[in-house]
Amino acid sequence: MRNEPLYRLLAVLLLLVSIAPIGVAAWWLGFVHGESPCVLCWQQRTAMTLVALCCAFILRFGPRPRYVGLALLISAHGIYMGVRHSALHWARDVGQGFAGEFIGAHTYTWSAFIFWTFVVAIGLLLMAMRDGATGAEPRDPGPLGRLAIGVFLAAVAGNVVQAFASTGPPPYMGQSDPVRFSFDPKTWVWSLEEWEPAAISLRGRYAFASPSIDGLDADPARGPLRGLARVAAGSRTRIAAGLDGTPADFARDPASGRFAVVTSRHQVAVLDTGLARIEHSARLDPGYSVDLGRGLVGVAWVDAATLVALNESKSFATLGEAPRADPAKNWRHFLAGGERFEERSRGRFATVRARMNHVAALAFDPARPSLLTVSVPNARHRRLVVSRFERSDMTLAEEFVPALGPGLALVSEGRSLDEYYVTGLVVEHGRLHALSVAFSTLLEIDLVTHEVVAARGLDGLSRPVGLALRDDAWLVLQENGAVVAYPR
Amino acid sequence: MEFLNFVLIFATGVLVLRRPDKEALAFRLLLFCAALTVFLFFVGSRTSVLPPFNY
Repeated sequence: MRNEPLYRLLAVLLLLVSIAPIGVAAWWLGFVHGESPCVLCWQQRTAMTLVALCCAFILRFGPRPRYVGLALLISAHGIYMGVRHSALHWARDVGQGFAGEFIGAHTYTWSAFIFWTFVVAIGLLLMAMRDGATGAEPRDPGPLGRLAIGVFLAAVAGNVVQAFASTGPPPYMGQSDPVRFSFDPKTWVWSLEEWEPAAISLRGRYAFASPSIDGLDADPARGPLRGLARVAAGSRTRIAAGLDGTPADFARDPASGRFAVVTSRHQVAVLDTGLARIEHSARLDPGYSVDLGRGLVGVAWVDAATLVALNESKSFATLGEAPRADPAKNWRHFLAGGERFEERSRGRFATVRARMNHVAALAFDPARPSLLTVSVPNARHRRLVVSRFERSDMTLAEEFVPALGPGLALVSEGRSLDEYYVTGLVVEHGRLHALSVAFSTLLEIDLVTHEVVAARGLDGLSRPVGLALRDDAWLVLQENGAVVAYPR
Repeated sequence: MEFLNFVLIFATGVLVLRRPDKEALAFRLLLFCAALTVFLFFVGSRTSVLPPFNY
């Protein structure tokens, strides 16, 4: 008797949950508005119904631990289902979603919130419950309890009807893209599509390792393009000693002739025109704010005193040279050095077509102040996408998949430009020079026509990681620190 | 399968209301329905068990 007020409260809650969402879903959204749940929505709705059924058990038999525990387990699974399902749509543009909205949010989003309220409500009821509330015998739920269970059964009956029309008898089950509900059997779709074989994966399309240049074929003759012109290596030099980590990219400032180099240990260094001396450097703290882990892979001069350093996930830091930088102010940005650098910003380039690909190089186009990347293939997603980001707001301005220009042809059907793995980029006169470590090939892409207008095989390369231009030569930085000049 | 699940839920609800002496059977049905729901969600989401986001 001491817990009777709680039983009445529970009966009211069961009544409310039975009316909405369980009853409204079938009787109003389904029968009146023709809304049909997808296969995942069905399970979320079913789980809400099961939590309500647990309430009915408690009204009838008392708060036995197995009923309360099961209600919590189902609610926990419901939160997971709500997040898993909504994750398919949460990152879309504003207002986009699957099927219809309900009070400003799509139904799958409501699901996560509803299950969360279930957990909160169960916790509060348990806290309010007095000891010794569980009896061995069934209890009389009372008029209010009977009404609540009756309304619950009516709500379930509506769902039985809708489930039969929308999903069919076993073994048919719900569909990914259900048609709208109708009482006309001629419109019913009963499907077995969800039973068709499909690979089980923990992370789906995100389940792939970071790409690597290990094992890539360096022979231009085995690449996807037919009849490449070959360029023999010219002079060789070595980059200055004393870098912290393995060189990962370099860029040459056309005005001053100085070089910028980034390394695998997040060092950004400015070198003299002969690559013989490090003028100054800083080692970025990759864990501060925007995650720059996984190593830097690209660097570009955006003016005579400003650099952008990029990591493989397209996160970047903008650094300005400052003769009298404040070490105390810089401490948060740099693990080492930084006496002549100031970090101006950190951010992330967001792409559309290349969002499932990493990048391995960066270039700056002074003619249209913007930065460019080229995606590299991975085990799951192979697509060569050129992305351009406006310098003014570092936001995507253009993306394209290059086509083959006149005079170029693939070796055979089934080969494609997607096989190239671009680790060096530079822009000159509206053309993007892209060096691929796979097949040691230098592509020249017209940034207006979006075509590959020239391709050359570079002889004698070993694991190239950076590309720069001089009037007389392409300069290629190798992972071992060698810089090879290829006459133009 | 969803139809089967809701029929079983309805039957369980009727047992709770009308036949409280069948409590054990009702609870077994409840457990079966919960397991079926988990299984069906897995079938529908098995190509990416975790939410398909960055981690």
